[in-house]
Amino acid sequence: MIGWEYPPHNSGGLGVACQGITEALADRKHKLYFTLPYALKSSPAHMNIMACRDPDWETPVFQPPFLAYSSVSDMVNSATDEEKAQVAAHDLAALPSSEIELKVSQYADLVAKEAKKHKKKFDVIHAHDWMSFPAAMQVKKISNKPLVTHIHSTEADRIPSGYGSPYITHIEKTGMDASDIIVAVSNYTKRLLVQKYGVPDSKIRVVHNGMYFSDSMNPGSHHFAPDRPIIVFMGRLTGQKGPEYFVSLARHVLKDLPDALFVVAGHGDMYHRLLLQTAHEGLSAKVLFSGFVRNTQRETLLDRANVFIMPSLSEPFGLVALEAAERNTPVIVSKNAGVSEVLPSALTIDFWDLDAMKNAVVGLIKDPSYSEHIVEQHKKELQSVTWHSAAEKLEAIYKQAMIGTKKR
Amino acid sequence: MPQLCLYFQLHQPYRLGEYELFDIGNSNAYFDQASELNKEVFLKVSQKSYRPMLSLLIKMAQEIPDFYVALSTSGVFLEQAQMFDPEVISLIQKLVHTGKVELLAETYYHSLASLYDPAEFKDQVQAHADFLKELFDYTPTVFRNTELIYSDQIADQVHALGFSGMLTEAVDRYLHGRDRTQLFVDYSGRLPLLLKHAPLSDDVAFRFSDRNWPAYPLHSETYLDWLSVYPEDAIINLFMDFETFGEHQWADTGIFAFFEHVMKEFLEADWNKTVLPSQVFAKEKRKQTMSWLKKHPEASLYQRKKLMAKGPSQWDLPRYTVTAPISWADVDRDITAWVDNALQQDSLRLIYSLKEKVLATKNNSLIHVWRQLQTSDHFYYMCTKWSADGDVHAYFSPYDDPYEAYRRYSVVVADFEKRI
Repeated sequence: MIGWEYPPHNSGGLGVACQGITEALADRKHKLYFTLPYALKSSPAHMNIMACRDPDWETPVFQPPFLAYSSVSDMVNSATDEEKAQVAAHDLAALPSSEIELKVSQYADLVAKEAKKHKKKFDVIHAHDWMSFPAAMQVKKISNKPLVTHIHSTEADRIPSGYGSPYITHIEKTGMDASDIIVAVSNYTKRLLVQKYGVPDSKIRVVHNGMYFSDSMNPGSHHFAPDRPIIVFMGRLTGQKGPEYFVSLARHVLKDLPDALFVVAGHGDMYHRLLLQTAHEGLSAKVLFSGFVRNTQRETLLDRANVFIMPSLSEPFGLVALEAAERNTPVIVSKNAGVSEVLPSALTIDFWDLDAMKNAVVGLIKDPSYSEHIVEQHKKELQSVTWHSAAEKLEAIYKQAMIGTKKR
Repeated sequence: MPQLCLYFQLHQPYRLGEYELFDIGNSNAYFDQASELNKEVFLKVSQKSYRPMLSLLIKMAQEIPDFYVALSTSGVFLEQAQMFDPEVISLIQKLVHTGKVELLAETYYHSLASLYDPAEFKDQVQAHADFLKELFDYTPTVFRNTELIYSDQIADQVHALGFSGMLTEAVDRYLHGRDRTQLFVDYSGRLPLLLKHAPLSDDVAFRFSDRNWPAYPLHSETYLDWLSVYPEDAIINLFMDFETFGEHQWADTGIFAFFEHVMKEFLEADWNKTVLPSQVFAKEKRKQTMSWLKKHPEASLYQRKKLMAKGPSQWDLPRYTVTAPISWADVDRDITAWVDNALQQDSLRLIYSLKEKVLATKNNSLIHVWRQLQTSDHFYYMCTKWSADGDVHAYFSPYDDPYEAYRRYSVVVADFEKRI
């Protein structure tokens, strides 16, 4: 398996998904070699980690050369401020494209070297997102083993304007073309791959992410601001996630629920713009920014929320919506999100349709029994959203890929 | 040599503590958690500036016959002095007892109320005067507004409160080339004004220890030379932060010795003097009254008596017409340090919009908190203007950046709103 990031240095859903998938596969007695472009401080027991790091890289030994999908403060869970500052300079957006290309290709060479050594030990190559694709293609060439590429997020999701990096888009496309089977994290992503990348429908299988159930549940409204409806946005503050729609929504909802508090949790390139937007729209002290929230605060916020909203412009999956649902919070998600495929009781609304959003929020808050009903549905649906069922599907996909290659 | 009029400002805000989203509804210690910070800042500045400079002023007031100085102390400064370093209050008391000091009126909370709410402005000015009476048995007669903020509309308010005059900044775009060293009157001719001499004030307040300044190091002889070019009837208004002495300019720059030496040398000559704002206004009032009487020998006894008591209804002085608010801050000398970007404007809108609800509670501690949240510093921290002014803002701000100042203020107000 060719990766790029792994918890605690996880970027978006990618790191979490790699952990969920590998743990579940290991439980099913698969032997896994997992490459990373950096060393892990403590290696997980369920697989062999192979650090493929160029010693000339300036980034710390225990960190990826760049974080692909996020501002650092948002995602590096356990890093100190100093570490964060170091990685911040290596955020994807901050790097010149030549450096990104260089690092991705150096990684590919290092992975290929390892693959040569262990050629006889593996049967399938499983590569996660574009950073691993150049490596995957080399390994396939060397070993002639079947390649499964796994799409957690595409450039078309991340840069909804359509002006994403041509280099990254090109790698995504060639990587998928070279694959025997492509795994998409949702039908939403599958459609996107067909429509925007021209990948044949028949090559794509959908494997939804699972989730880890939390054991520290403390549901209720006793945490803070006990008498006020609280509506939460949690995620990177960047165009893809649509936080500006969340801020504007507040103005509409406050007409009906003057006491409501809107909380924006997270960091990102749009942070300052959103603060100014809030002030411009006269929403000071109504839309509050929590900054980056860590573990318990994150849980508290999701517990306390009366409604969780994910107004993404394009969201391959949207794991955080499941976390909110697990914490007894009714969820409203954009129609452009994969997560509603496993959480059909989530209210799906166009991210730009503030009237419909407003009606949904007001409906949920004014009618507690309706809200409870939705939460119950959520909980039922979550039962089947497990990493084990993801692993089961992947196993079948591996088998199919192996048969396919032998035939050739 | 001109006359010198000295006024130094004493102020410390209540900075917000680390009050976060998760504290809403659980705590209302907006400032308490920060009191350590507020205390720390106060004690540090007290050590470096308040105590040594007040002691120096007392000594000079006792030793130098013609030495006078005006101070303005915000109410929130005096409160914190009482809490953190009562010795500062004693020193000010001692200074007031020398009879050589004038205390100026201002808003208790060092607020921007003059721009937003005349009734609230009046209340805060009254509260401040009451506090001066209580602490120093002193009744101020001259007004200076937060950061010397001034406009025609503010002049109207200050005149209505019965003050004998006001201090503000001399801003070129309203001076139209006239001399800043003369006495002015407001646009309506009713309120006499003293205007700050920014170049000579800022030489001491900002440039004194600037090694890139051509005049560095500034010797007292040089400074006295600069003063000496002004004629006798000119009034040089040296207005600055009290903290200039010992804090903005550290003791090791020689600022204390410089000040003492300049004053001693200046007052060595019998004909030189320092004046207090109230003295200037009173003298001018006599002069104007006499000249009116000379011109109107037919005036009745009643008219004469009234005039002697109240002064002229129209002062015969050059008018200082200021249509948009000015201040002594930044290179702009306007109010954009506090009221510029959307963060500041919406925060100010919000806090003043709570007035009716807050006052209706009749709860003095809530009203006090509301007014603490009006202190201009909160909005100063939210300033996003860049250039050299940005550095000055950053120097004074407890926050990493203006956005954080806004974010935190917003969280506090979200809680406060629910308590009223």
